[in-house]
Order: sequence, then C-alpha cells, then structure tokens
Amino acid sequence: MSIELKNEHGTIDITNDVIAQVVGEAAIECYGIVGMASQHQIRDGLTEILRKENFARGVIVRSEGEEFHIDIYVIVSYGTKITEVAYQVQSKVQYIVRKTLGLTVSSVNIFVQGVRVTNV
Amino acid sequence: MTSINGLQFAKMVEMGSHHLHQNADYVDSLNVFPVPDGDTGTNMNLSMTSGAKETERHAQEHIGLTAQAFSKGLLMGARGNSGVILSQLFRGFSKQIEKESEVSVRQFAEALKYGVDTAYKAVMKPVEGTILTVAKDAANAAVQHMGDAQDLAGLLEIIVEEAKASLKRTPDLLPVLKEVGVVDSGGQGLVYVYEGFLACLKGEDLPEKVTVQSMEDLVNTEHHRSVQSFMNSEDIVFGYCTEFMVKLDSKKLLDQPFDEAIFRQDLSELGDSLLVISDDEVVKVHIHTEEPGDALTYGQKYGSLTKMKIENMREQHSDIMDRDEASAVKPVQHKYAIVTVSMGEGIAELLKSIGASAVIEGGQTMNPSTEDIVKAIQEIGAEKVLILPNNKNIIMAAEQAAEVLEIEAAVVPTKSVPEGLAAILAFNPEATVEKNAQSMKQASASIKTGQVTYAVRDTSIDGVTIHKDDFMGIAEGKITSSAPSLEDVTKRLVSSMIDEEDEIVTIIYGEDVSAEEAEKISAYIEEQFDHVDIELYAGKQPLYPYILSVE
Repeated sequence: MSIELKNEHGTIDITNDVIAQVVGEAAIECYGIVGMASQHQIRDGLTEILRKENFARGVIVRSEGEEFHIDIYVIVSYGTKITEVAYQVQSKVQYIVRKTLGLTVSSVNIFVQGVRVTNV
Repeated sequence: MTSINGLQFAKMVEMGSHHLHQNADYVDSLNVFPVPDGDTGTNMNLSMTSGAKETERHAQEHIGLTAQAFSKGLLMGARGNSGVILSQLFRGFSKQIEKESEVSVRQFAEALKYGVDTAYKAVMKPVEGTILTVAKDAANAAVQHMGDAQDLAGLLEIIVEEAKASLKRTPDLLPVLKEVGVVDSGGQGLVYVYEGFLACLKGEDLPEKVTVQSMEDLVNTEHHRSVQSFMNSEDIVFGYCTEFMVKLDSKKLLDQPFDEAIFRQDLSELGDSLLVISDDEVVKVHIHTEEPGDALTYGQKYGSLTKMKIENMREQHSDIMDRDEASAVKPVQHKYAIVTVSMGEGIAELLKSIGASAVIEGGQTMNPSTEDIVKAIQEIGAEKVLILPNNKNIIMAAEQAAEVLEIEAAVVPTKSVPEGLAAILAFNPEATVEKNAQSMKQASASIKTGQVTYAVRDTSIDGVTIHKDDFMGIAEGKITSSAPSLEDVTKRLVSSMIDEEDEIVTIIYGEDVSAEEAEKISAYIEEQFDHVDIELYAGKQPLYPYILSVE
C-alpha cells in the first residue's frame, strides 16, 4: 500500500509506513496527546501506548481514487479539552503532510482510544 | 499584601485577561509554531476570556473555589494549543489551593509550580521553546526566590521578570522561531497574563497597547507565513514583495489627510500580507502585490517615497523552502547520551549515524579501561547515559564506569557491534534509563551475530579442526566452520545462520576486504535467500574481515 504521485520525470511512491511515521511524529508533539494507540486494541493488548516503530498500527492511510484519508488512534491526557486537542492534531497533521509530502489530505479522523490519568 | 483571597484573585484574573485581550493581535503576528496560521493570540484570548467570565460569576472570599471557577472556565473555553496548555497550567494551580481560603506568597509560588508539573504531564513530547518553557522557568524562579519576596506583588515581579527573560530565550530552543526572528507566541501571551496579574496587585494601569516590534520582524513573520501556504512557486498569486516608506508631506496632507485605517483599506485591495506602521512623520508599508507600481503611486499621494524595495517572490520561493529544510534540524541536546565501543572508523560512523553520542575506539586487542569510558562520558556532559560495550570482555569495565559516575548510568550488555546497533535503534529518549536499558537489552538479544576472523595457530575448538592462517566462522560466539578461503567460510557462516523467519542481514566488512568482495557475498545471499534484505556497510575494522547480523 502506498501513495503514488506522478510528475513529468516519473513517479514517486510513498509507502503508508512512511506516512504513518510522519503523521505519528506530528501527532505526539501535539499538546494533550500522551501517545498513539493501536487500531485493534483487543488484538494488540489493551490501551498500550505504541512505540515509534509501531505507529503504523495506529495510523491508517486509506486512498480512495484520487483522495486520501488518514485515521489516527490516540490516547489523550485526562483533564484536557479533548475536542480541542483532537482538533489541534487534525490541523497539525494536515499542515505537516502538506509541507513534507506535498499531499492534501481529504480527511483526518481522530479516534480517541483512551484517557491517561496522571497523578502529579 | 502577604496573602490574597478569592476576590483579589478574581481581580487579578480580570486584569490578566484584559491585558492579553489588548495585545491579542500582536500575539497572532508572532505565531509560526506548531502551525503558522496566526491564531495563537485569538485562541488564547478566547480561552482566557472564558476563564475570566466564569471567575467573575463565582468570585468569592474563598480563593480555592474562585480558582476552581477560573480553571473550569478555561477548560470549557480552551481553544488552540496555547489555550489547552493555559487551562492545564491553572488546573494544576487551582487543584493545589482548592482547600485554601487565602494563599500566601509561598503557597502561590508552589501552586504555580504544581500547575507547570500538571501541564508537562499532559504531553508525550513537550516541545521546549514554547509557552511550556516560559511557564516552567517563571514557576521555578518563583519557588526559588519566594523567600526574598516581601509580598505577592514582589513575587509577581520575580515571575514576570523571569517569564520575559525566558521568552527572550525561546528562539534558542526552537529553530523555527530563530529563523523567522520572533519569540514564541504562546509564551508571549502568558507574559501578558502575568503582567496583568502584577499590575492588578500594584494597583497600576497598563498601557493600552504595547508598541509593535520593528517592521522587519513583522515582515519576516509575514513572509514566513505566506511562504508556508504555497507548495509551488506557480501558486503565488501576488508575486512582488513591495516595501517602501512615505515621508508625509504637510502640503499633500491638506487635500489628502492621512488616516491609517483608510490607507490600509485602500492598499489591501492591491494584494495581501499587508503591514502598515505609521507615526506623525513617516508611514512604513509592506505588501505582496501583482501591481507594485500602483502601491507606490498610492503612497505618493501622501508624500515622498524613500527606501523602496521590490522583489520577485517567485524567484525567492525555492530558496526559502530550502532554508526551511535546514532549520528543521533540532539542536543537539546532551541530556541523554549513548556511549559505545567499536573498532574501525566505518563502524564508529555507523554507530554515530543512528544515535550514538560517542564511540570509544576499542577492539579485541585494545579494550578500553573503566577510566577511558568514564572520561568519554564526562566529555559529553550528559545527565543520563547508556553504555554499550559491544564486546563481552568490556562489559565489566563498563559496569564499573557506570558505578563510578555520579550521573544516572546503565550498561546494556551488548556483546557485538550488531547487537549494539540493534540496541541503539530501540532507544527511546522519553523513557527512563532503567526502562531503556531493559528494552535495548531485549532488542539486542533478538538478533544473531556472526563474525569471520583468522586463526593465529593450529587448534581444535568446538569439534572444529583449525589451521593457522585459516579463516574461522563464528556464529553466536561458537566456531562453526574453518577453511582457507574467506569467501567459502563467510558463505557457509551466513547460510547456517539464516532461517525462514529472518528478514534482514547486515554485513559490515573490514579493512582487509574490498568492496567487490563484499558485493560478491551480498549477491550470493540474495540469490540463495530471496526473502531477506541485505544491508552492506564498510566498517573498516581490523582483525575481522566480516561482522554479520541476522534478524
């Protein structure tokens, strides 16, 4: 699975793993995100925070014809305004993907898979 | 005032909110991180206004309950990254004082610190050089100097002073700020809030608007922001960056009185990224337009033109994009270091390229001492260190070094270079030393290491007869084959190590092996095992023509 871009010199293939890595890095820098989660939490162990190399499990890239969509599975910090944190991830991901990969994402969908309570 | 109650706190909040509101536009103009969309000031202002409204509604003598209302209002109205962070800062702050009817200087400082701890806990990768850093530095200064403060106003003076100093330092921590020539927008917003608190305690009025920073800074920000919005030079709609100054001419002003708002309105129809700054004598203008001539002609209605500069942005665009790439490199932080041992400069480079902070020269015949390891670590000046000996004969020395050192240190007992490579790849800069040592050890245990070297005398080991000057293949520390031909031994060794599950074979060839010879081995493996990927590196190591790993 990859995204293929064509230009006058030939084609550029960007694998989903690369997109997942870029998107995941951008997401975990967002304030209020304590980690990436797996899409299949039951199968992969409950509410486990994904490590860098497994971001692809929590970032799903779907291409439908000319468009492409990204689903992101995250764990947020308790006590933050979750809708706002999710919105920040959406806007940052749109921006980073456009800036680094030159692609426009048709939709960025956030799935909040867990809330992490931290006792200071 | 040596302590404040809820009603006084509510007044502080009101003043902080008002001061931020007054300067929201300026905060917007600084916004280049995390996304340069110029809304930080707007968002923070909305969040803070919501907090202030809720505070006003529930203001009472009891400060714990008043602060709780403030925290709730911030949370409900949180907008944008900076708004969410602001709500976290005061969530922790109010939690710490929830039972107090009034707070002292000491309690205020400690609550601020607790708020910062709360805010830091809510993010996986805190980015320094942002509002978080400013809040942290200010709170630390408050706690450190709370004994010196006469009263709360004195404490707030310390807080404001450190917040401003910390804000000045943000460009050193976040490269994108330095490049654009601005300080962090969220941090600036927080400074306004604290300044408002202080003014309230001192009973002073604040200036309605701060003087805007220099035109140059604004232009820089504006350029950066507009560049970000284009992927291609062709997409630029307004192609000429036009800057000029109008020296206002009193004669001309008789039939054409100067009004900044009208001036701005008229020019805005010619393009975008418009900036107009004026005083009684001059007007500075910056605009991106397709008709630079029209902009200049318009300016001439009010006076004479000076310092004109017109640039074609379609030509510059690619340069700026290149510069952006360069600034993405993060400054080196030596908080966490990985110190490892290897022989051969190629291996040293390889180790460094994937994250080793320092590589100590070592090897089979010249093992580094405890002292060598300690020295290498001290030179880096890290706070936490992981030591990878990459050789079982060095593990002891490494363990001793870890004990001698006065910083947090742990040894990952890697027995070979490939194990070291695997361990470094598993490093997580966010995790504790202990956790890293554990996960890195696991990662290094999951790979198989093979080495090819030559015999120095006739012998028989592990049931294999060996002649002097023959080559020996060693898999996982056990000698598996021996023969006069290097190629045969290497092929046999690799074949014996690969099974169905394996995916990657890494070959590091030594100083006595030519690239062609190594390519030959690589081609052979590819032919025999089509399910593995091969990575070939020139390690330039002595004594071992080949070091291999299979995983």
